[in-house]
Amino acid sequence: MRYKLFPILSITAMVGLVIGSFGMFDRLLNGLNPVAFGSYVPWGLWVAFYLLFLGLSAGAFLVTILTYLLGIKAFKSIGPLSAFMVLVCLICEMFFILLDLGSIHRAFYQFFLTPNFSSLLTWMFILFNAMGIIYILKTYFLVRGAIIQGVPNQTGLIRSIFRLLSLGRTQYDEDMRAADERRVHRLAWLSLPIGLVFYGTNGAFFAVLLNRPIWNSAVTPLLFVVAALLSGGALVAFLTYLFTANDTELRDTLTKYLGRAILFLLVVFLALETMLFSVGYQTGRPDVVTSLNHITIGPGWWNFWIVHFAIGSLIPLALLTFFYRNPKAVAWACFLIFITFISVRYNFVIPDLAVYKLEGLDTGFFDPRLSTSYAPNLNEWLVSIWVISAGLIVFLLGTRYLPIVNANSGGMDHAS
Amino acid sequence: MSRFLAVEDQLVRMQRDLNRALDGDPQKVKWGMVIDLAKCIGCHACTVACVAENKLPPGVVYRPVLEYESGTYPAVGRRFMPRPCLHCQNPPCTKVCPVTATYTNEAGVVVVDYNRCIGCRYCLVACPYSARTSDFGDWYTHGTTEAQGVVQGQKTAAAGYEADPAAEYGKKWPKRGKGSPVGNARKCHFCLHRLAVRMLPACVTTCIGRATIFGNRNDPESLVYQMIGSARMFRLKEELGTKPAVYYLA
Repeated sequence: MRYKLFPILSITAMVGLVIGSFGMFDRLLNGLNPVAFGSYVPWGLWVAFYLLFLGLSAGAFLVTILTYLLGIKAFKSIGPLSAFMVLVCLICEMFFILLDLGSIHRAFYQFFLTPNFSSLLTWMFILFNAMGIIYILKTYFLVRGAIIQGVPNQTGLIRSIFRLLSLGRTQYDEDMRAADERRVHRLAWLSLPIGLVFYGTNGAFFAVLLNRPIWNSAVTPLLFVVAALLSGGALVAFLTYLFTANDTELRDTLTKYLGRAILFLLVVFLALETMLFSVGYQTGRPDVVTSLNHITIGPGWWNFWIVHFAIGSLIPLALLTFFYRNPKAVAWACFLIFITFISVRYNFVIPDLAVYKLEGLDTGFFDPRLSTSYAPNLNEWLVSIWVISAGLIVFLLGTRYLPIVNANSGGMDHAS
Repeated sequence: MSRFLAVEDQLVRMQRDLNRALDGDPQKVKWGMVIDLAKCIGCHACTVACVAENKLPPGVVYRPVLEYESGTYPAVGRRFMPRPCLHCQNPPCTKVCPVTATYTNEAGVVVVDYNRCIGCRYCLVACPYSARTSDFGDWYTHGTTEAQGVVQGQKTAAAGYEADPAAEYGKKWPKRGKGSPVGNARKCHFCLHRLAVRMLPACVTTCIGRATIFGNRNDPESLVYQMIGSARMFRLKEELGTKPAVYYLA
């Protein structure tokens, strides 16, 4: 599909890829040596970005469930786009978490050789791969018909790719279409429990750590699911506005629906966040209060108050409440939510780590790696830019050359 | 009792305890440590000995000595607390390791298999005592002059000390480069490589206040067993249920 933003986004992504490659080169050549995090703050910006993309994939996941499992017709036209978005987000997640490992190569075989099923990281690995396989298949079956039928209309490399993806087929009849619909429906069924457990497990991954008072709460997995749906839903709403510009009636309907859902999720998320802060401050526990103070009045106070609270919450709240009939306002609100959500993820990961777990650790042994003071350095930002640019390029190429946006003239019916 | 000393040094007693443990049934050996805070003078000799014994790179430390100040002038005090890995009997770190790279061995020591560790650092986050550090591949000689010399010069110094890793876990590791243990989680292992050759851990032998006691905590004749029974005994963050095998005497 041709769209206005394609050239400018492509140039941005290419520039990002070139600039980011300096950081990637350093990372791949020198391991984790160039990063700013250390042993007391062992996770940094890349884990925050992993969580951001996890959330973005959740919104798209929700839309695919609504479309292909519950059969809500309003979302049919963005179904394939959502499935493809889940895939792109999973790719970005994979890059961020692999690059965060000290020994990347072992991740490719050690999980199979000596898995530890009591570790939630093992389950995240299993569920991540399950989601990846499901969404590769789902996206493929959603666009297969359009690919087979589109071979004659393509030329050059794109034609070769289409022929390759057609797996030798030249005809796509009604029987095949019905079979693909059934496959997509079955995959949607399968993805529901796997997806919910996957997103919940990512929250539980932090929640089970008994020495981390901010994370160690039964509410954390719930907060994760809500945060994921909010950020991902906002991205889907924004993309819907962008990709349905040719059909204003459809665009207005979808944006209105999604806007309402985002408003609801935003209110729930802010309520949960308020509970987290108020309960934390009420406990008076020094480590909890220190962590929370790190967010609210620490060196990154602006990250919380300005980026997250003002730009990412209050303005969208106002737009979604008072201008919900205006699709452009809803799209802007959603854009602000997902673009500032890295601030939420960063403020989730870092503050609990940024507190010494034993008194005297700060003066016991001096080294920059043995400090709770952390701010992402240039290398971390460059690598992040590279991964995001790579994800953007995959997304742009997919939406431009594969029949993802206009597959089956607005998606297929769910098989009921 | 030693035949040569008027008063037996507790190091001699611990050496005897160690020999007895190694000569006995390996199934009955559970190593343990007691640190008498009243005897610790905060000299950091144990920290330095550990760093030297295990050739720890910058940013990796197995046994820092934490310092606390208490009281108000003129009634002030200063206390010191060495903090090795506590070798928990219910360790949070081993449960979270996704590839079973860290586990409790048959002698109750929490170890890391450097050739399995993927470097996710989940164990660092899970440890309530911050007893694990990650090896980020830093070098002491990094950024120093390239000039040739005996004691100075990046290549000379690196080749003479940093490049050859210690025989941790009783294994010969390749020259320090980008492979293990770079990128891995690292921690105190009670100097298993020394125990294997009947030597007490480096921190124990270098403790000038004799504040660190080591031995088989299952052996009623051992010093460590007797000290665990002291009324002064406490364990760090007992409320977490981690059951450390490193005990402190208040």
